[in-house]
Formats: sequence, C-alpha cells, structure tokens
Amino acid sequence: MSTFFATPSALLGWLKSVSSDNRVVAPKKKGSVVLFKPWTTEELGACQDASELLIRSTMSAKEVVFPKCETLYELKATKDPSDLSKLHQELIVPNNATATVLFGARPCDARGFLCLDMPYLQGPVVDPYYKAHRDALVIVTQACSNALPTCFCNWIGSNPADEKGSDIIFTPIEGGFVLSALTEKGTALLAKGGFDAADDAKNTAVSEAQAKAKSQLPAESTLKDIPQKVYARFNDEAFWNKEIEKCLSCGACTFLCPTCQCFTMTDKGNQLDGKRMRSWDGCMASHFTLEASGHNPRPSRGMRYRNRLGHKFSYGRKDGDFSCVGCGRCIRSCPAHLDIRTVLSNACEGAQKKGEE
Amino acid sequence: MSVLDDKERRIVGFLCNWCSYGGADTAGTARANQPTDLRIIRVPCSGRVNPLFILKALMNGADGVLVSGCHPRDCHYALGNFYARRRLETLKEFLPIIGINPERFHYTWVSASEGQRWQEVVTKFTDHIHKLGAAPKWSEVPALKDVKFDLVDAIRPLGCGTHPALAELKAEIKKALPDLHGVLGWRKGYDAIHAEPFLMQTEAEVDELIWGPFNVQNLANFLPKHAGKKIGVVVKGCDSKNVVELLVEKLIKREDVTIFGIGCNGTVDYKRILAKLPEDAVIESVVGGGSGVKVTASGKEYDMPMAEIAQDKCRLCVKPNAVISDVFLGKPTIEPECEDGRLPALRFLDTLTLEERMGFWKGQMEHCIRCYACRSACPQCVCRDFCVSDSRDPEWLTQEDSVEQKMFFQLIHAQHLAGRCTGCAECERACPMDIPVFALKQQFGRMIKKIFGYSAGLDLESMPPLLGYELEEANIKERDL
Amino acid sequence: MRIGIFVCHCGSNIEATVNTAAVAKKSLEYPDVVFATDTMYTCSEPGQDSIVEAIKEHQLDGVVVASCSPRMHEATFRRTVQRAGINPYMFEMANIREHVSWIGKDKDANTNKSAELVLLASEKLRNNRPLFPQQFDVTKRVLVIGGGVAGIQAALDCADGGIDVVMVEKTATIGGKMAKLDKTFPTIDCSSCVLSPKTVDVSQNEKITLHAYSEIESISGFVGNFTVKIRKKSTYVDWTLCTGCGSCIEKCPSKKNPDAFNEGIGTTTAINIPYPQAIPKKATIYADVCRKLRDGKCGVCAKVCPTGAIKYDMVDEIIEEQVGAVITATGYDQMDWTQLGEYGAGKLPDVVTGLQYERLLSASGPTEGHIKRPSDGLEPKSVVFIQCVGSRDKSIGRPYCSGFCCMYTAKQAILTKDHVPESQSYVFYMDIRAPGKMYDEFTRRAMEEYGTEYIRGRVSTIQPHIRPDGVVGYMVRGADTLLGQPVEIDADLVVLAVGVEGAQGAAQLAEKLRISYDQYGFFMESHPKLKPVETNTAGVYLAGVCQGVKDIPTSVSQGSAAAAKVMALFSKPKLQSDPQIAFVDIKRCIGCGKCITVCPYQAIKEVSFRGAPKAEVVGTVCQGCGLCNATCPQGAIQVAHFTDNQLLAEVNALCQF
Repeated sequence: MSTFFATPSALLGWLKSVSSDNRVVAPKKKGSVVLFKPWTTEELGACQDASELLIRSTMSAKEVVFPKCETLYELKATKDPSDLSKLHQELIVPNNATATVLFGARPCDARGFLCLDMPYLQGPVVDPYYKAHRDALVIVTQACSNALPTCFCNWIGSNPADEKGSDIIFTPIEGGFVLSALTEKGTALLAKGGFDAADDAKNTAVSEAQAKAKSQLPAESTLKDIPQKVYARFNDEAFWNKEIEKCLSCGACTFLCPTCQCFTMTDKGNQLDGKRMRSWDGCMASHFTLEASGHNPRPSRGMRYRNRLGHKFSYGRKDGDFSCVGCGRCIRSCPAHLDIRTVLSNACEGAQKKGEE
Repeated sequence: MSVLDDKERRIVGFLCNWCSYGGADTAGTARANQPTDLRIIRVPCSGRVNPLFILKALMNGADGVLVSGCHPRDCHYALGNFYARRRLETLKEFLPIIGINPERFHYTWVSASEGQRWQEVVTKFTDHIHKLGAAPKWSEVPALKDVKFDLVDAIRPLGCGTHPALAELKAEIKKALPDLHGVLGWRKGYDAIHAEPFLMQTEAEVDELIWGPFNVQNLANFLPKHAGKKIGVVVKGCDSKNVVELLVEKLIKREDVTIFGIGCNGTVDYKRILAKLPEDAVIESVVGGGSGVKVTASGKEYDMPMAEIAQDKCRLCVKPNAVISDVFLGKPTIEPECEDGRLPALRFLDTLTLEERMGFWKGQMEHCIRCYACRSACPQCVCRDFCVSDSRDPEWLTQEDSVEQKMFFQLIHAQHLAGRCTGCAECERACPMDIPVFALKQQFGRMIKKIFGYSAGLDLESMPPLLGYELEEANIKERDL
Repeated sequence: MRIGIFVCHCGSNIEATVNTAAVAKKSLEYPDVVFATDTMYTCSEPGQDSIVEAIKEHQLDGVVVASCSPRMHEATFRRTVQRAGINPYMFEMANIREHVSWIGKDKDANTNKSAELVLLASEKLRNNRPLFPQQFDVTKRVLVIGGGVAGIQAALDCADGGIDVVMVEKTATIGGKMAKLDKTFPTIDCSSCVLSPKTVDVSQNEKITLHAYSEIESISGFVGNFTVKIRKKSTYVDWTLCTGCGSCIEKCPSKKNPDAFNEGIGTTTAINIPYPQAIPKKATIYADVCRKLRDGKCGVCAKVCPTGAIKYDMVDEIIEEQVGAVITATGYDQMDWTQLGEYGAGKLPDVVTGLQYERLLSASGPTEGHIKRPSDGLEPKSVVFIQCVGSRDKSIGRPYCSGFCCMYTAKQAILTKDHVPESQSYVFYMDIRAPGKMYDEFTRRAMEEYGTEYIRGRVSTIQPHIRPDGVVGYMVRGADTLLGQPVEIDADLVVLAVGVEGAQGAAQLAEKLRISYDQYGFFMESHPKLKPVETNTAGVYLAGVCQGVKDIPTSVSQGSAAAAKVMALFSKPKLQSDPQIAFVDIKRCIGCGKCITVCPYQAIKEVSFRGAPKAEVVGTVCQGCGLCNATCPQGAIQVAHFTDNQLLAEVNALCQF
C-alpha cells in the first residue's frame, strides 16, 4: 500500500481545499468537552495548529450519518375550495445529506459506522436517509498514538491502527503525518492533497507509534465465548440488578456511544402543516420499551442494562464482530463510574462458573 | 398567525374564569377602550396556571405575559390564588437568569366587578411591553462562546486524609447489616480516583467501603429505588439534605432508612485531576493526606492540592455534616457560618446583561445531547421513569433538536425543583457535555430563599414553599405596573 | 376532526368594529375547519337552528362560536350542539364582543384579533374530548348551621317541604340576635313576640333535630353526601331530664357573672337558661364560672334539682350526621369597637352598643324595660346615638356600610322618647340609609314626631365630666358638617351603632365547608347578582347576615330562598356532577401526593394500586380548579377541559415563532 507524508501545514491546507466542496467535520473543543463539529474553510484557514483537530472527542462521530434529530418528511396540505374536507397534500422529503469529510475519527469511531450499517443498510430494508448520509461520507481516521486508561479496543478484536471502516487512515509521527488511502473514495480524496510518498523511516515511525499505543492498552481479554455467556445470563435478574445497582439509568452512555443506533419517531403539527422526525433514543430510557397498554417489559435498570450489554456483545451482531468498539466513552462519562468491562467480565466469568457446576 | 406588524406586540393573558375573565367582560360591557394586543386564554383559576405555560409562551417568542386572578381571599376555589401568588412571584424572580426581562411578565388580581381596573391593567401593561419592544428571539441572539468560569476559593479548609472514623463506621454498618436489605456506600471504582456507589450486603462488602474525597455520587438518589425495603445509606452533608427532602415529600419512610454520617471534608472534581495528567496516564494509586492528594500515574507522582481539584459545590459547602443521621461517627466538620454561595456559573451569569445571558444559554444548549443524565442524577426528580421529556404527553417538548426545546427541558427540570432542590449539583456533575445546568436550579433556590427564607433539605417538618401558602405573604408585595 | 365556525354579528355589537365575514373566511384556513359562516344573532332561535343544520349537513363533530363571553352563552350553545348530537364539551367560544368589538375601534386590528381568537378556540377544540357527567344518590337531609331567624326560617321551610333538618346552634338557645331585640323597625313590633312562634315551631317540628350548644367539628363528603361531625358541648345538665323549672338558677351561689344574652349588661348565675322563652328551655352550667367545676366546692344545683339532671362529669360528645346539603346561617358579631379611642375605647360605662341598648329597652332585660344607665342606674334624659362606629371608615379598614344601623337607631330614638318622654335624643350620622319599605317614613317619624335631632358628622371624642350636681356626664364633641361648626352635647348615655362583621369563627367554619369568605368574615356567594344564595361548593347555601349585612325581612327571605334551593336539589332522584374535573392517569401517577397536599377540597385521596400508592379523584367533590394539575410534575393528574395539552395548544397557537 502506498503511504504519503504530510506536514501539519500541508495537512491543514489539504483540509481547507477539501472544505470548499465538502462539509469537513472534525474534533472541536467547546469549553471542556470535545465534539465533532463542522469546520468552515475560514476556520481551517485561520487554524495555526493542526493538533486542534487531532484531539479525542467526548462525543462519538455518529451524528454525521445519524443526526440527533432528522426530519424524515414534511407534510404540506391545502384545502380544496370546493370541499374543505378534501386536502391537496404534498409530501416533502428533505435532502439532509451533504458531502462530508469526517476528519480525525479514531479507529473505534470508524468501526462504529460498520455497526450502524447493520440495521440501516444491511437489514431487509435499506434506510434511505442513512444511506444518503453514508454515501456522502468519507472517513479520514487518525490511528491512535496512545491509549486512554478507559480504552479497550483490543478486547473487541480491534487495535489502535485498525483500518476497518476507514477510507483514509493517518498516523501522527515526528514532524507530520503518514497517510494511506484504504478505499477508492479515500484514494480520490487523498489525491487532492498532492502529498509526497512517505519514506521507509517514516513508515517505521508509524509502526513504532502504533506499537506504543498498543502497549498502553489493557491486557488482552481472556474472556471466551462472550456472546453465549452473556446470553446465558439473560434470565439471571439478580445478577443484573446487583451489577447495575450503581447505574442511574441516565443513558449518557447510549448517547455518546458510536454504535448505539436506536431512535424514536414523532410527529408534529396538523393536517395542513406537519412533519415526522426521527431522533435518538436509547435502551436505558424506561419509555424506550413502554407499551401502549402501560406494560413495560424492561421495568428495571438491570433489565435495561442487560439489553445494552446484550446488544453490544451477544445478539444483533454480524460476522462475529461485537457491536461495541471499545472506545470507552461510556466509562469516561458515566456519572456513576460504571465500567462496562467489569460488567462484561462478571457476566462471563460468572456464567462460566455456572457452566462448570 | 402573527400580530399586526409594528402595531401590536404579542401579549398573552391567562385569566381565571371567575374573577378576571369576568372583569375583562365587565370592561367590555362598559365599552372601556383597550389596546388590541392582548390575547386571553381562559383558565379555571390562577392556580391552574403552571408557570411553565408562561415560560413556554416567553420561550416561544411572546413579548409579554399577563396572569390575572381573583384577589387574594376572594378565590372562587378558596385557595387557588394563594398558591398562584407564590409560584408566579418565584417565576418572576427567576426569569432574569435566562435572559428574559422579568418586566415582560406581570401577574395581578382583578375581580369580576373591576372593569375599570382591568382596562387600566391592560392599557398599562400593553404600553409597557411596547416600550420594551419586541422580545429578543433565541434564534437571533448571538451564542456566547468560549465561556470560562473562575475557580472559587473555598470558604473552609478541604482535606483528604483517611478518615479516622472509617473503621468505626464499618463496624457500625456490620452491626446494622442483619436488619437491613443493604447499606448504600462507595467503593473504589475502575481506578483510584473513580469511586462507585454500591450496596453493601455482606461483611466482606462492608470492608470495601471507602470514605473520602472521591465519594462524589449522591447516594440519596438510590433510596427511592429501594422504597419499601429497610435500607441503610452513608451520607455526606449534601446527600443528607436530599434524604431529608425525600422524607419531607414522603417518597421514602423514616423507619425504612438508617442513615450513617461522617463529617465531610470535600470531594474532588475528577475532571480537574485528569486535566493535570497526560491523557494516557494510567492512575496507579492515590494517597490522600492533609490538604491534598498525591496521584501516582504511569509511574510519575503528581501533588494536587484540594484547593485546585475540589468540586465547586464543596468549596462553598456550609453543611458538611449530615443534617439527619442515626449514626454519626467522628468529629463533625466545622461548619462555616455563612449562606450558601453561588457556584461559578451563577456568579458569571450575574455579571452578564439579559441578552448575554440568553446568548450564554444558547451557547451551552447547542451542545446538549438530550441524554437527560441531569435528570437521572437528580435525587429529587420524582417522576423518574415518567418524565415528560420522554413521554411527550403533555407535549411540553417536541423531539426537535433545537436550543429552545433543549432549554425548555432544563426549565421544566428547574421549575419542578423550585423549593425542592437541595443544591447537590449532581445534575451538573452528571452532564457529559459539562453544561452548567445547576445554575438554573440555584437561581430558583436563591429566589426561594429570598422570598420565603427557605432552603430545602434542612428540616423534616418543613413544607416546600410552593406546595403551601400564607394568607399574607411577608415578602410578596403586589407590584404596580 | 370536522370543525364548524360561526362568527356572530350580534346585530351591530360585533359587526360594527369587526369584519365578521373576513374572520369566517380566514378561519377556513385553519386545520380541521370544514365550515365557517357569519350569522346575525347566533344565540337567537334561527341562529341556533342554523348551527344544528350545519352540524348535520357538514357532519361537524366540533363547533366554535365567536360571539360574546362564554360566561354569557356557553351554556346556551352547549345545549344547541347537544341538540344536534354533539357532546356539549366539543364546543368552544371565542369572545369577540366583550374582549374585542366593545373595547377597540380599529377594525383591522379587531378583525385580526378576532380571527386569532377563533384560531385559539379551534386549536383548543382540536384537543377537546367528549365529557360525560356522573350520576350519584342524594341523602335528603339538610344541615342548618345557626339558629337565628334566617336559619330558623330555612329549617322550617325545609321541614314543611318534608325534608329532615339537622339544626346546629352554637349557644344554648336558638333565636339569635333577633331574640335579643326589644322591638323591630319599622313596625315597632315586639321582636320576641314575632319570633317565638317560630322558635317553638322548631322545637316541636318532628322533622327538625336541634343540637343547641353544639358546634361543627368537621364536614367531609360532597353535595348530596356530606358527613358532619357535631361537637355537643358539655352542658353538665342532662337535658333529657331537665324540665327548665329554674330551681337550680335560684339557688346558684355564683351570681355575679357577665350575662352573655344581655350583652354583658347585668349579671347571671353559673347555671342558667339564657332567657325566658329560650328554646330549648334547658339549663346549662358554664364551667369557667361554676364553683363546683372550678374549685370542686359547691354542688348546690345538684342538690336542688328535682330530676337529678345535673351531671358534673359530663364531657363533650361528638355525633355524626349524614346530610345532602348545608345551609349556613351563622349571622354576625359586632366588630371590636373598643379599639376606637374616640368612643372611649370601651372604658366609659355609659357608652353602650346598640345591642346592649336593646337589652336595656327590653322588658325581659336586666332592667326589666326601664332605661337605666349602667353606671348609676340614672334614667337618661339626654341620649346621643352615634352611627357608623366601625362602618364606612376606610381609615380603619372598614369601608362597608353595616346596613341596618340607621334604621335601628331611629327605632331606638323613638323608643327612648316613649320610655322617657322628657328625654332628648341626638343622632350623629353620615348619611341616612333607609331604602326599605316604610323605612324612610320611619326615620322621618323619628325626626319629625319624636324630635330626634340628627346631626350630620362624626364624633371626635367622648369626655366624661362631673356636672355641678355631682352626676357624671359625657361631653360628646363632634362636627356638624352641614353647618360647618363644632357641636358639643352633654349626654347621660351614649349608644353606638357598632359595625357588624361575620360571626366569630366564621372563617374556621368556611374552611371546614371549603367555601370562600372575605376579610370581614362574610361568606362569598357564588355570584353577587345571580347566585346570591349558592356558594362555590355545591350543596352549601347561605342565609342571613353570614353572607353580607341585611335586615330581618331580607334574612328571612334568604332563609326561604336557601330552603327552596335545597328542595330543588333534593327534588332530583339523582345528581349529576360537572365533568370538568380532575382525573388521574394511573400509569403516570407516582403517588407522590403533591396533589393531595394542595387540593382545597380534599377531593383527592391516596389509594393503593397493585401495592403502589396512587392518587384518586373523588369526582363529586372535585370542583375543577386545576391546582393539582399545575402541581403535578409529570402531568399525571389533569383537569378535564383544561388539560395541559389543551392549554398548550392555545399557547402554541399564539406563540410559535
């Protein structure tokens, strides 16, 4: 694979030129938190320090394909003057998608999009809204050169330089960045940079940086048969309730998660002027499973968390991959300091013990 | 629909059916000429007017809102306007913090016979709103960016040594354990600075209990989840206020809860600790002692004085000891003799103009992801799984990802907590987007204190002021227009 | 929905300043509106018929009428739409007359505003739901609180109508204030002679159960089904045995006690019967002055009682009565005039109140009908009457007129002349209020035939002084505002027409009854003009001065009116409750009880549903104020027809930018 080298200013220049016909979304600091936000051409032009775009984001990047709230259609109607109860209706389906370059996603973020693809693109029905966003997206991933104490991508079969899901991947090294394109989209975008090929020394530096990050990750998981063991816990309510005692069921984890994909749909307006919206929802919210009768099949925090862990590690998966990318955001931002790794280990180890008996 | 451009302002009136609506009718019958701006919504009683209707109108762009009911003591329903008076006054005092000019909201009393008075009220209020001009719109106000708050100095010495009474506490809990479903406490979480709440049910679990600067979570939050069971809880001063408030509101029973207290010397804002470390540093150990902690991370040692890492609320805490307890161990922490202080966000907001405040909240709410962790972390959020944010029935909120909708949720939360919030600030700590949402509750809190001399969570015999009334309110004076 | 809009011209009342056709046309643009028209007089018969026709022709399921105030015609139009088969609550009114056409002349602005008010109504209507009243049984017994003339009249009328009556009187006898009066104006009839046939009727009527010397402990329930707890205060005399012979009274050694019936003029014994014609004519021991009960030493009455009725160990008894309606006739008391320094602050013995003077005039009073002033028994030759003592005086927070003082003062001046022909009466007055039948003639008689001197002005001081003959006189100084000069009269006796206020304890009773009262202790009627007998609590009615000052004939009329209301209520086999009341969504209720705390009617109770506490509304008690609705954080309790979503729809119709 050919690799290219870019200095920080060359990288910024490339992004600036890309921004002329793309929405460039990259990490942006907002007070004490970091979000994936659009950078305008002017902002990129004014940026003196590329490292501003390289910081880790508090939020995942999923908003670029799965907005917090998306209008699915608007309904406009006029009354027929001859019979006012007859309506001339017009359905307006907005085109919400714009060509987007997501810059500075991490390998875990990029992998997260593959999880989102499962329900929206690979199910029996292709979601046109998601597909439009997804088709318009090019993902430029930054390989991690370090790991946070809460990172655990190695547990789910990934690594700090995982290429899965990315169109371009780059690694920061001394003096600049080594980039390589992984897909056709990526090749085309990278070509606009006009970067020089990276030499061997630089490629070696890349390997070293990636090795360093790897070394900072926690020990490889020794858990075996995770999907089966988590599933075996399904009816063990006492386990979930005990494990989740500290959980507030707030759902910050699901909203920050790069793979949480659930939504709710609501209608607003009236027969003449209305719209249907799709917005984020999460299994940690009680209302998520509330049935019209008033019955709630997941009435407790434990039952809700069981679904979160189950969906990540046991069911609804493809090709043996987990629906968790090990980014650790849910751990970092949890007000109760709940660690999904601990719950997973306890679920599996306990299950193992049960099996042994 | 819109008001007649440049001729009218959007003014909404909520009038009780029996007195003020009748007064407006009387004015009409007397052909008492009035400005045309006002649009009247008829309600049974001024007590029916949830302050959120007023906030909704103002958030949605009303230039003025007028509420009018029967004169106090003349209420058709005997008491409705007494409650209304307290709620509306509190709301009026609250408004400036979100950048809404409180003069845009007026409440008054007009009887069915006072047609002339009604004419005066409408005329004066309309004139006043015309003088104030169009209300600033959330969509048009520039968002205030890059807000930084100053660190507040602590009003008391903060410490972080191992508490001498911890062993004794564990012994007491073990003694009580056989009669209890469990005891809520904290233990070391996934690293040394992240403590996690847990339920102690065995002696071995009791040995895991920690006490110190990392016990940040408010365990009172978990008590209603165990309602009906005998449960113990270890509390800091702030947590104990929520226990009191839960008892006052009869959400838990006194006989069901055993309260263990130790004097608190302050807790940390672990984000402040993390900010002092490289992002990939792995915390290996933390040793507390005197006025600071020594953090060992990735083989390096860092000295961090509590003065730099303590939570804001702890810096200003005046109730470090449990206000209610069954078992209190060790020496109580010295309590500073002063009022509750303003947290940095409120201090900052107080320095801003009305429009800047609106811009401030706009800038903050742009980041809100609507996870509602603020709500879930709140020990006084009684609706729990039935929150209107999720049910959208009543439809106070839509799912639109707009600043107005997100802000309105915060207003609902703050208004529901008015007179009930104890100031634990867990809402703010829980926010993954670091939005200072507690400032809204603190604004309500200080206005409640100002009007009713009341602070929530201190007295088991007290009644939250917005659930009560006095025939004559000492600190509520009827305002002239 | 299919909504029809009817915009009323109201002749020219609306049409003159609102383009109703434009309003109707505009409203066709609103969601769910399929029909709109403007009509001349919507409330007229053809107007109503056109609504019925339109409902049928256009299959409307909701109607908005834009016309006058709903306080005027909401009930009318609800019946109209019901006639056409629509639930009466699927109807809204836009008030474009009182709130638009009559208060502004700018036709464009009025038209725009009217169109918006129609939108407001139609947006609310889109959120309306059909509502249905509940039916429930009625206990056909009535409680009458207070045994004055108004209460007596109400009780007798109800009993005549075949209704069982429970009468509760605070003092040991019925008769009230009227029993204390010597004569009544303008006929100079003997008051007790007029009254006693009625009091005797009460005691003898089988339909009436009288609880004298009793008070209301609590009232719960709702119209048709009240449960009343009555405290029968201990009289220390078994009234079933007492024959009213009076032996005990003769022998009682504790004789120097102030006589409440005689308004503190004269003294009485610790065991007594208030007055000769008292009903019931039974003795009562007043524990605070009884030597036996206070000090344990005496017991004379027990020794002399021929029937052994004296029971020193008697205690208060609480009894319970079930009634379907309540008439309150608790009357009045005089305001505390002793706070007024200009009249001697109650320290001058010969400055008496009008009621005290009645007792001095009365043949059954302490002076046996001879006017003797309290200090030295002197027959007064110069009597000064002062009107408006604590009435019509904003400076002391008493702005209202006490109504009957002008008349009884004239009466007392006449009677004074009758008793003491050589006497001279003076009346200090502000205005003479004599609007009743034969009233003005009566006051003129006092002036013209009896030579009473009327001086228009207020009194500034009453100074006692010793006359040359050693007799104490009272120098009354004031101003004659007609002549504009100071006046000074040396009086032997001064009579004050003291202003009245609601009876002591009225406020506490009002709270038990959950009715409103004003700052003077008068109960609030439901409507000052059209519902003067009803209160805002269904099934509770008002009679007499408890509602506002009035004289005897008006009190009697109101007593009869209240009785008529009760009989009308009881004439229905079942009652219907207003469906505009609170209801609980049990799924959403978390049982926090905040609604129960704030409900002014105790209409919400906590119930257990599958082990969880939940709020439940007692539909017949709820008045629909919506306080609970504004209090419930999660909106689990909603007041029908004014739900959060209905009001939000209105707010959103107006403010959606």
